[in-house]
Amino acid sequence: MKLKLYADRMSQPVRAVIIFCKKNGIDFEEIRVDIAKRQHLTPEYAEINPMKQLPAIVDGRFKLFESHAILVYLASSFPGVADHWYPADVFKRSKIHSVLDWHHSNLRRGPTTIVRNTVLAPVLGRPLNPEAAAEGEKFLSASLSKIESIWLKGNGRFLLGGNQPSIADLSLVCDIMQLELLGETERNRFLGPYKEVQQWIENTRNATNPHFDEVHKILMKAREKLQNLRLKGANNEGGESDMKRTLHSRI
Amino acid sequence: MPDRMSQPSRAVIFFCKVNGIDYEEIKVHISKGQHLTPEFAEINPMKQLPAIADGRFKLFESHAILIYLACAFPGVADHWYPADVFKRSKIHSVLDWHHSNLRRGAAPYVFNTTIAPILGRPLNPQVAAEAEIILSSSLSKLESFWLKGNGRFLLGGNQPSIADLSLVCELMQLEVLDEKDRTRLLGPHKKVQQWIENTRNATSPHFDEVHRVIMLAKERQQHQRLKAAKNEGGSNMKRPLVSRM
Repeated sequence: MKLKLYADRMSQPVRAVIIFCKKNGIDFEEIRVDIAKRQHLTPEYAEINPMKQLPAIVDGRFKLFESHAILVYLASSFPGVADHWYPADVFKRSKIHSVLDWHHSNLRRGPTTIVRNTVLAPVLGRPLNPEAAAEGEKFLSASLSKIESIWLKGNGRFLLGGNQPSIADLSLVCDIMQLELLGETERNRFLGPYKEVQQWIENTRNATNPHFDEVHKILMKAREKLQNLRLKGANNEGGESDMKRTLHSRI
Repeated sequence: MPDRMSQPSRAVIFFCKVNGIDYEEIKVHISKGQHLTPEFAEINPMKQLPAIADGRFKLFESHAILIYLACAFPGVADHWYPADVFKRSKIHSVLDWHHSNLRRGAAPYVFNTTIAPILGRPLNPQVAAEAEIILSSSLSKLESFWLKGNGRFLLGGNQPSIADLSLVCELMQLEVLDEKDRTRLLGPHKKVQQWIENTRNATSPHFDEVHRVIMLAKERQQHQRLKAAKNEGGSNMKRPLVSRM
């Protein structure tokens, strides 16, 4: 029985799991659960994940949620996954756990919060909330600074001085990619000061292409549509319901 | 490097004591700002507790530390961090959930209703109110999902894992709250209360020893509240002093 992955590619942790599977030749069935259409809130989906979040996997009768737990499970259970993704060495592995845990309370609280309270708010049926977005910006800036100076310290191309990517690189880079939705100017405002971070994102992309670009296509399309709708909105003052309708039909 | 007022520090100390892992406890007092010194930054550049140094190997983030200790030290029983990939994955799942849920609710709630003044910071009722929503929701999920079934511990287990230690230590922080708040939050959740008791029994006498600092803080808080009530005219003199534990 094929692995089932419940996914919406607009979600950063979902993308990390998809890229990992594709890069490692793990065969899976991607089952679309559309967050904008609130499909993650249905009783059917609650059977899969009672926390009503994405991603979740079902492997035979084994169900699992929380993207880091999923990445570790896949790295541990599927043959042919190269060691660098989740090393057997207890010291290297512990450092990966350390950055993955740090991520939850730090970087993860950045891009999502900004995007949900600004550009994606109308799509998600939420009010714009500049205050919440500002909180997200604080987390983002502090986190990028720590990644630049601590996690990317040394000469490695990846986190923790590694020369090959681990599941931690995938998880964190996918999160930062969410900033693409803000458009180039805003994205550059955030990432501009951090040269190591920018290089690391590029390194991760190169190490996992063509899958990285393929999986992020949806984000780039969404960004274009959001920009077009903002322009239209500025012209007609029509805006929000148009944005929601268009994005529903095309994503 | 712990401060026993820190929930994740307690979980690590607890684990070491229960498993006979020999360690040197180097106190880093958060209330004195010792975690913010350049010396401590050499140990953990994130300036948080706990952190360990095992030979030349340094590590921070309590879950990563618990996993490292379970894997690296001989004699740690399997139930703490099972070798079985399915059981282990479920433990990762609840530990990860914890960060964005129980911890995200409990820690700011307790801080902004009770602990802040001890550290010379102001209470923030708005943050406390938002955190309370997350905390209540997390307690409900513990009751209805993570403690589903007949097991005495999380995930239907009959022996504790590192997940039980981590989450119970978080909940023990609620001991310093005003009794009526603690009752209001925990009261509806019978399984949660039983699970805390199960964890305490499974790890005696270390549980009480490790939590002594919290129980002392609880007593001090209760005295402060009584004093404040007396100064306001003594309307609340019948507040119970006996520990619920």
